[in-house]
Amino acid sequence: MDKLMRNKKAIILFIAPALILFTGVLFIPVCKAVYYSLCNYKINYQPKFIGIKNYVMLFTKDKTMAIALRNSIFFMIFSIVTQLICGLILAALLTNIKKGRNFFKNVYYLPCVLSSAALGLLWMFVFMPRLGINQMLASLGFFGGDCTLGPQWLFNTEGYIILPIWVISFVALWQYVGQSMMLYMAQISGISTDVYEASYIDGCSKKQSFFYITLPLIKPMVATAMSLNAIGSLKFFDLIYNMIPEGFLSHKADVIATHLYTQAFKFSKLGYGSAIGVVLLVLCLIMTVLINKFVKTESYDM
Amino acid sequence: MKKKVLSVLLTVAMTATLLAGCGSTAAAPAAEPAAEPAADAAADSGSADTEEAAPAADEKADDAAAADAGSGEVQEITFMVWDDLEASEDLITKGYKDSIDRFNKDFEGKYHCTPITTNLEEYYDKLNALVAAGETPDVFIASPGANLNDYAMTGVAAKLDDYLNDGWKSDFTSDAVFAGGTYGDEGGDGPGIYAIPLNIAAACVFYNTEMFEDAGAEVPKTYSELLDACKKLQDKGYTPITISAGTAWCLSMVAGYLCDRNGLNLQDIKDHKTDWMDEKVIKAGKQIQELSQYFQKTAAGDDNDVATAAFYNGEAAILIQGSWAIGQINGSCAEGFADKVGVFAFPAVDGSSADPNRVIAKSDSLCVSATSQYPDAAVQLVKYFVDDTAQKYTAEVGGKIPVTNVQYDASVAPPELKYVMDVFKNASSTFGFYNESLADTEAGSTFDNCFVEIFKGEDPATALQPIEDYYEMNVWE
Repeated sequence: MDKLMRNKKAIILFIAPALILFTGVLFIPVCKAVYYSLCNYKINYQPKFIGIKNYVMLFTKDKTMAIALRNSIFFMIFSIVTQLICGLILAALLTNIKKGRNFFKNVYYLPCVLSSAALGLLWMFVFMPRLGINQMLASLGFFGGDCTLGPQWLFNTEGYIILPIWVISFVALWQYVGQSMMLYMAQISGISTDVYEASYIDGCSKKQSFFYITLPLIKPMVATAMSLNAIGSLKFFDLIYNMIPEGFLSHKADVIATHLYTQAFKFSKLGYGSAIGVVLLVLCLIMTVLINKFVKTESYDM
Repeated sequence: MKKKVLSVLLTVAMTATLLAGCGSTAAAPAAEPAAEPAADAAADSGSADTEEAAPAADEKADDAAAADAGSGEVQEITFMVWDDLEASEDLITKGYKDSIDRFNKDFEGKYHCTPITTNLEEYYDKLNALVAAGETPDVFIASPGANLNDYAMTGVAAKLDDYLNDGWKSDFTSDAVFAGGTYGDEGGDGPGIYAIPLNIAAACVFYNTEMFEDAGAEVPKTYSELLDACKKLQDKGYTPITISAGTAWCLSMVAGYLCDRNGLNLQDIKDHKTDWMDEKVIKAGKQIQELSQYFQKTAAGDDNDVATAAFYNGEAAILIQGSWAIGQINGSCAEGFADKVGVFAFPAVDGSSADPNRVIAKSDSLCVSATSQYPDAAVQLVKYFVDDTAQKYTAEVGGKIPVTNVQYDASVAPPELKYVMDVFKNASSTFGFYNESLADTEAGSTFDNCFVEIFKGEDPATALQPIEDYYEMNVWE
């Protein structure tokens, strides 16, 4: 093995497939997107270089971008916080129950493996004005028995963060909490039982052992899960696209990814869409760096 | 040495599988459909059989058949439409499927058409993606307007004048039907016809005659009479109007009518002789708010299908919609409902000097790709959509206004078509959907959104600011 590692040809051969693929499907397209973001590029027309005009427009004149940024950042904070708390609680509970652990693990993880498009449709029906929740509440005697008088879950556009964004945040939490739970569980089951036994001998309660042993020891995974959540919620697209009708409620329910989609594919402004894509990429990079900087990960020997 | 050889082999294997994984998916769909008909053709021994196999095909088939019949190779073309040809209940879509089936049958072994189906919401996205990838479908459907203009100007759609001037044009009712498909003043292959219309639909007001009678409401001629009728219907316990603001163009169609009836001229806005803060637009906004008290309570969230269903399920008395709704209504409604449906033209606005006989009309049109490998096959396919069988079907079953001089049996056609025809014949002139007639698709979408905001209660002057800003920045430069 050592000999192999010193052989430059072998190294190149082994790296080549990954490198070629990475360059071909990721690096070159990203560079191209950065270039297009500096162009006036309408679909079917030739790109024309216009400097940073797209970015100036994006940050000074585009009101939808401001809303999209606000919604995306709300999504990110909401999902980081709720997934951290709910994921940890579920993981802690499941590692402590004796019966049915695998069953519940599967139950919580199940939404994760389902297609977001199908889930979006499903939840859209649940929150439709005449179906689902409203009908159920109406049959229980709410809204004077008339389901059309119930809250417009997916269409109300009042408030700073509008109701549909809250609704979709909860759906997203429901969908992805299983993933965070799995990550935490994997890390928790890696903690040696010796550590816990020692703590119990020293008179530690279950609650104390969670806060003083489990939490510090799974910190590296917290950082990983948070980064994944942050990136995932910044580029969040499918549920919103499927649950909110075309136009995204006059762009009030837009997030960065849907704004990108509308500009690039609905209005054929590929250059402008690329600029939004670049902003999204930069945001994801910033978030990852920030999380890795502030959630200090020391590794302990377990 | 052995290790070295092994490592090289493994690397090669890994790279090969990775590349194979990427490659095969892209190649497969293109290869498969072509392979089948080719096999059919091979079984079909030679060129003589090809012509015999299609006795049903009339002279159109014959003159096209001569050219490449000897080659024995099937010319494979694609057709893209905004509905699922297999699953749709829409009668017009079923007619499209029939045209393609007839084409494939008549030209078996010579031409073959494979439809690419999608849904309306994603249609232009998918089409643009195919165009950008250099895989423009040979024949594709489009609505006249900003999108089609782009296709004509950038050389995506082919100019069809040569085919039309070959005697084909005389089949159509008048040259006016091509107005929506004529483009290319500053691009493409120069000015000419880039799209063939398949049918005409006019936006009208559909109403439930039974409910109107019961409530003692009269067919309104003016806006204030419309409000009266709605009031009577509401007092009687009916939902007067069903409309969709969830599908924004449905609401903006009504807004377009109101703007026009108030006397707005879109060209004036384009030329910046007036702007979106024009009192006529503001007035239209206020009228939408006034009308909205008679909409179904869930109008903000209902999509077009739900809103239309509320009409044919007898939940609401009035539906303001394009006459394509006839196909949708008759494809889904209960027996006997069609007899209860009446149609009237959108009412005039009291005190306005604007012409009250203008009608919003729209035609589905077919374009042929300028880069099509088999333009003759593609044009031949288009001909199957406007031949007598297809046009008869359009009127008698689909309930849309045909574009050719076909004789159809008015007694079999849906009763609503007659009323729509009356409205259409009385029209002094037609105009397009506002959202498709503005500077570009983004302007159209902005217009839609502005009126949804107005409907939700925002002050018209504030709600119209986005479209004003958009024109300020992009159109009136």
